Amino acid sequence: MSQRKKKGEFIVERNYVDDQRIIEPEKLEIGGVDMSGRWGLLVLPRTIEDFDHSLHAMVKNHPRGRNIDRCWQCGNCTAACPVAEENPLFNPRYLIYIIKLGYKLEIEKFGNYVYFCGSCGRCSEVCPKDVDPSGVMEAIGTALRRKP
Amino acid sequence: MERVELGKEEVEVKPDQWKLFERAVFAAKAKLTYGTVEEYLKMLERMKELERNGEITVFHVEEEFEPVTVKTLSGRRKRIPTVELWQHKSCGQCGHIPGYVTSLYWIMSQLGVPYVDDTNQTSCTAWNYYGSGTSNPVALTAVFLRNMHVAWERNAYPLIHCGTSYGDYKEVRFMAVMSRELRERVRQILKKIDRDIVIPEELVHYSEWLHVVRHRIAERKKYDVSNVSVAVHAACHTYKLMPEDYTYEDDVLDGVRPAPTTSVALALGARVVDYRNWYDCCGFGFRHILTEREISRSFAYFRKVQPIVRETGADVLLTHDTGCVTTLDKSQVVPLAHGYKETVPVMSDSQFAALAMGAHPFTVCQLHWHVSDWKELMTKMGIDWERRLEEHKRYVEEVKKRVREPEFIRSPGRRLRPRKDSRELSS
Amino acid sequence: MRRRDMSEIHPVLVIGGGPAGLKASADLAELGYDVVLVEKLGQLGGAPIRWGYKTLAPELRPTEEVMGPLIEYVEGNGNVRVMKNSVVEGATGGLGDFTVTVRNLMNGATESLKASAIIVATGFEHFDAKVDPRYGYGRNPDVIGIHELEGMLKEGRVVKRNGDPPKRIAFIFCVGSRDKSTNLWCCTVCCGVSIKQAIELKHLLKDADIYMIYMDIRTFGLWEKLYWKSMEEYGINYIRGRVGEIYAIGDKLLVKGEDTLVRGPFEVLFDMVVLAVGMEPGSGTAQVARALNLKVNEFGFLEPRHPNIHHDSGRDGIYLAGACVAPMSVEEALAEGSAAAMQVAKALRRLQRAVVK
Repeated sequence: MSQRKKKGEFIVERNYVDDQRIIEPEKLEIGGVDMSGRWGLLVLPRTIEDFDHSLHAMVKNHPRGRNIDRCWQCGNCTAACPVAEENPLFNPRYLIYIIKLGYKLEIEKFGNYVYFCGSCGRCSEVCPKDVDPSGVMEAIGTALRRKP
Repeated sequence: MERVELGKEEVEVKPDQWKLFERAVFAAKAKLTYGTVEEYLKMLERMKELERNGEITVFHVEEEFEPVTVKTLSGRRKRIPTVELWQHKSCGQCGHIPGYVTSLYWIMSQLGVPYVDDTNQTSCTAWNYYGSGTSNPVALTAVFLRNMHVAWERNAYPLIHCGTSYGDYKEVRFMAVMSRELRERVRQILKKIDRDIVIPEELVHYSEWLHVVRHRIAERKKYDVSNVSVAVHAACHTYKLMPEDYTYEDDVLDGVRPAPTTSVALALGARVVDYRNWYDCCGFGFRHILTEREISRSFAYFRKVQPIVRETGADVLLTHDTGCVTTLDKSQVVPLAHGYKETVPVMSDSQFAALAMGAHPFTVCQLHWHVSDWKELMTKMGIDWERRLEEHKRYVEEVKKRVREPEFIRSPGRRLRPRKDSRELSS
Repeated sequence: MRRRDMSEIHPVLVIGGGPAGLKASADLAELGYDVVLVEKLGQLGGAPIRWGYKTLAPELRPTEEVMGPLIEYVEGNGNVRVMKNSVVEGATGGLGDFTVTVRNLMNGATESLKASAIIVATGFEHFDAKVDPRYGYGRNPDVIGIHELEGMLKEGRVVKRNGDPPKRIAFIFCVGSRDKSTNLWCCTVCCGVSIKQAIELKHLLKDADIYMIYMDIRTFGLWEKLYWKSMEEYGINYIRGRVGEIYAIGDKLLVKGEDTLVRGPFEVLFDMVVLAVGMEPGSGTAQVARALNLKVNEFGFLEPRHPNIHHDSGRDGIYLAGACVAPMSVEEALAEGSAAAMQVAKALRRLQRAVVK
């Protein structure tokens, strides 16, 4: 059985390309020539082209997310986080940043990691600006679930 | 260990230290070639000094080459020879875009510019170097100086068609002038083929030549292109490698972007449109076309073609390097198969200028090799492409059937005599 | 044998009618010294008045509250002779007995004056962003400097060239500062001023989205309050990064940069871009350095004898104050003006006490 292992697996520097950016149709043809597979693949640019503040607004309206605007990205939360210690993809500081500025591709990539939060509250104890990151994680989770 | 005599000094070159030496040269290069305008000017001073000491021969842009002076990014004046040119051809142009160089020759024959189309030219091998990091400074410099010596023997000034060669030559010339060890290594190699170090005073890209003769081209224009909007892509290899040395003109793009090609389109009366990603590479990259075609193709389309078409609706995209024409042109196929609609014809400045001057779109400019659709552009320029295509097909058929001889573009008669008798010209 | 009285002391020459020069003049006049104040332009007040600063950081108090009384006092005080549109072309002599040449720029006439001491307070110029082509300043009408925005805020009308109010505005920090191709130093105040302006913009244009593109936020001392307030109360966004190019598309501006926290490039359309232009010594400072033979440092600012003691020019009887020595805020310039005046008073008191035969 010839099952494809990974999207765009033959791209030389595959690790640099996010899955979300690869367009690899099952069948591709032009002028009767079969162009499926390697020769027909396209990679979308990764440039950020816009801000989408809709999730941010939802987080701000959440009782535990209301202080998100205080965050200035010092990283004390992530420094204290026991989950981040184990999982580099869960980063409360970064999640706050991409939600605040509304970076779509980043939210697509990392949004669901918000559920890794153990709600231990250590971050909220150390936050120098009373952002309550633990609460913000909860608010982000809620916003992601509710987002149309 | 070999000993090389250098004036009164002796330089030691130990074979077992080659690798180390190469690394040192690369380190020097990193420091010097990406340095400042001052460093570049220093190099030019050094070149004069070496000439005075009799260590090298400098191939000057003498009056007999009828030079025109332009300004470079550094503000330095650069003399561009306009006649008696030694055509330093490009591998990719001859291989992929034959109309590129034939258009250039055709323009020269129309303008009465004598030139030498030498069969005795080697590839600069720079793509090998930029593409994969193989090769080494000694080999690159040797190839460069060998070609320059051939041109010097022919007494024709090198005109470099390929952006990659042009960029590479500027870099290796810098190294050759600044590093005595490198020169001595290369001298040994050149000795084996009975040549010596001849360094051209100016390295000239063909787009700079087109730039300085643009008004003469415009005078001979046959088609009105005032309704044609032109987007220009400047090639990284021409103006990003040793950026101090490429042509800039105060009244072209505010003097902050390269002048050639844009200036040619303007002189012909076309409307030049600007677009957001003007600085970006065409997608060819330095090695990407070799190793990451998917990225090359996607970049060419999403970062160049698509924004150009969406924002400017340009009728044609002009550029002045081999890799750029190829990548921007050929990369439009896959996106079109995907259902993307934006497309724009791509060609070189020489092809566009030749077309405007009335060159045959197929026999001379060879647009049938281009993938992107040029039909609309032809119609807009007032060229009856259907009739011309039929003509060309008939011509090809007749040549195949041997009922007629193939046509050649020939140089007008030369005025300068070669430095060596043609019988001696070999290797 | 007697001591000199006040009337035998020549007037003090103050060069530059900005915050530092005005403050020095006012303080000396109040102490009873005669002052000659030479100002290059046709009005007093220096940069805050010339560019129409609406308010001053960090409390957003109107600029006039500070500058108004000073200008009024200096212009209305009989002890201060104000020479506008004039520059000092040279000075000979030393403490207590300078002979100074002043040229009137309007009619070209020169005047020779006696002065007992000289205070140099020639201030700064806003960095001319045309020098750095990456921002397209001067070509794109909706790319403006903070000094120009300040004037617009003062008029209470911030609009694009086409008359529309801007919806999305970017501030770019460190323009002409901390950059090898322009100026190496930090201008110290542009973070605070930009944030102050962003808050004022939010008052004026409630629906505008404002993005601050910064490398570091340097709201030193109590100015930090501005920074916190802008985020917490006004929802102003901060993007860490630096802008590589601004490109005009139609009547929008495409701002290209990298968000260094995301580690990725952005290319976003904005309606208006405000450049937080830095401070430069300016031509007035260079001119006075030549005229008085003062030392300038590698950056072109006047170099005091000791780096931590600004007022000491290294030449006897010549004192320095304000932004001609280093970039500084209005509050600091005022303090330096006072400090220089005190040094002059001290030196002249010593002269008065000296016994005249």
